[in-house]
Amino acid sequence: MSGLVAKLKAPLRQRADLSEALAGSWATLSARELANRPVYLEQDGSVHLGDLFALDGHPQGKIRFVGQLDQADRLGAGLIEGEVIVDGSVGREAGLAQSGGTIDIGGDAGPRAGAAPPGFKRGMTGGELIVRGSAGAEAGAAMRRGLLVILRAAGERTGLGMIAGTVVVFGPVGADTGLWSKRGSVVALGRITPPPTYFYACTFQPAYLRLLLTRLRSSYGLPVRPRHLNGLYRRYSGDMAELGKGEILAWTSK
Amino acid sequence: MKIRGVFIEDTFAEAFTMRIARIIITARSPRWVRAAALKLTGFATSVIGCKVEAGIERELPARETPDGRPGISVLMMTMGKDDLAKRLIERIGQTVLTCPTTACYDGLPDVSDRVGVGSALRFFGDGFQVSKVIAGERFWRIPVMEGEFLVQEKFGMVKGVGGGNFLILARSADAALEAAEAAADSMAARPGIVLPFPGGVVRSGSKVGARRIKSMIASTNDAFCPTLRAVTVSALPEGVNSVLEIVVNGLDTNVIASAMKTGIDAACRDGVVAITAGNYGGKLGPHHFYLRKIMSGAAE
Repeated sequence: MSGLVAKLKAPLRQRADLSEALAGSWATLSARELANRPVYLEQDGSVHLGDLFALDGHPQGKIRFVGQLDQADRLGAGLIEGEVIVDGSVGREAGLAQSGGTIDIGGDAGPRAGAAPPGFKRGMTGGELIVRGSAGAEAGAAMRRGLLVILRAAGERTGLGMIAGTVVVFGPVGADTGLWSKRGSVVALGRITPPPTYFYACTFQPAYLRLLLTRLRSSYGLPVRPRHLNGLYRRYSGDMAELGKGEILAWTSK
Repeated sequence: MKIRGVFIEDTFAEAFTMRIARIIITARSPRWVRAAALKLTGFATSVIGCKVEAGIERELPARETPDGRPGISVLMMTMGKDDLAKRLIERIGQTVLTCPTTACYDGLPDVSDRVGVGSALRFFGDGFQVSKVIAGERFWRIPVMEGEFLVQEKFGMVKGVGGGNFLILARSADAALEAAEAAADSMAARPGIVLPFPGGVVRSGSKVGARRIKSMIASTNDAFCPTLRAVTVSALPEGVNSVLEIVVNGLDTNVIASAMKTGIDAACRDGVVAITAGNYGGKLGPHHFYLRKIMSGAAE
């Protein structure tokens, strides 16, 4: 991969808040400029990104994070542009309020990936967040636009209070997924139990899902199977305790 | 110039600048893709009477379509920019939206000049429609009795060329038809062009205006009608008893010139006396396709 490589210099011994590392415009910054961006350590306070990571190369709209990052929170928060690749797992709130660009996390993501910052009404408003492992609770909470894909399990309350956008989960989905959603789609390719405030509508083949899954396979190499493309989906409308214009599309073998 | 004994007249085909959109239709099976494409391109031979010209560009294997289903690409063209948007909305709304299992995508995604199609058709959803943004492009999911119709919000539009043509002058109707069929077959499925007339062939080439009714914008090309040889100023050589025309529209002059070369070459066979082309003296259309240049390898 061309672009910048940010290699963790030493294992993180405390939680690190990277919410300002890639927020706003960053894709044309030099490695030195990016290294000056602040990171907040839970115990030691503010440091620079360059204090924790060795940055090499030229961003050119791309950055790859290498190292054990499960204590790194809010990676890619406020992202508006560019391509962010993370080799392993990340901590809480990755892609918080992301509005553009792509985050591709090779491992797991902690709770509230792609969700809204505390006190804010909107989570992701654009861009694409790919989690190749599992995601913690409340992934995609209050999403307004954009795409969140989770390859393994999604925690409880995924898509909580979604306003719009799309969440695709390849593995099992936790309880209360889509609760309080106004609009938006949760696509469950694995096991799911829709909340009682979602009502079954029909079983059908959504053409847009073929388009979306075909693109996910070609763009990200995701393991989309013929049964996903050619299969049937149970449509549940909800949350009827809210606007009721959201949906859960649950793949079914029947 | 002669090709296999067929005289190639030293003249040119005169063509016009048109606005073109490429529409990709997909469906569950080739049967339903074809059903939609045939309706979409029906009654679309000439802007003179149909407001739009259209044709099937080629069939697309599933691996080439956006959603991995069998597809067909259609080229649709009009003289004006505003007209194209209207015709796309009318025709896609009445023929593709109505056809079981279809979805409809823009086939010119890299073009910056775009017209709203799905953005208008969505209102058929009566407020139940849903939009989705995939890879930066907005699509509309319109609920229908069968399930959902998916259509892209905007379609690309480019300036292209309409009215590339050549005429096959033959000793008999059978020879003319056989040569025209060979020409149309050889040109079919070439990317970037369509033959908008039935089977790719026109038997009723027209001239601008009319002798009798001044309000008519086109009437029969009497100079090329064999039955009128004795009563009009005929352009037909001795021995010619039937004439058929091939009209070709395309995305640019190069693809049209290339298609004309292939078609003319296929048409040069027994029973054909000459190949000529329709023009208006070069005063109406900016694109001139010189037959001899094309057949010797040079383009427009």
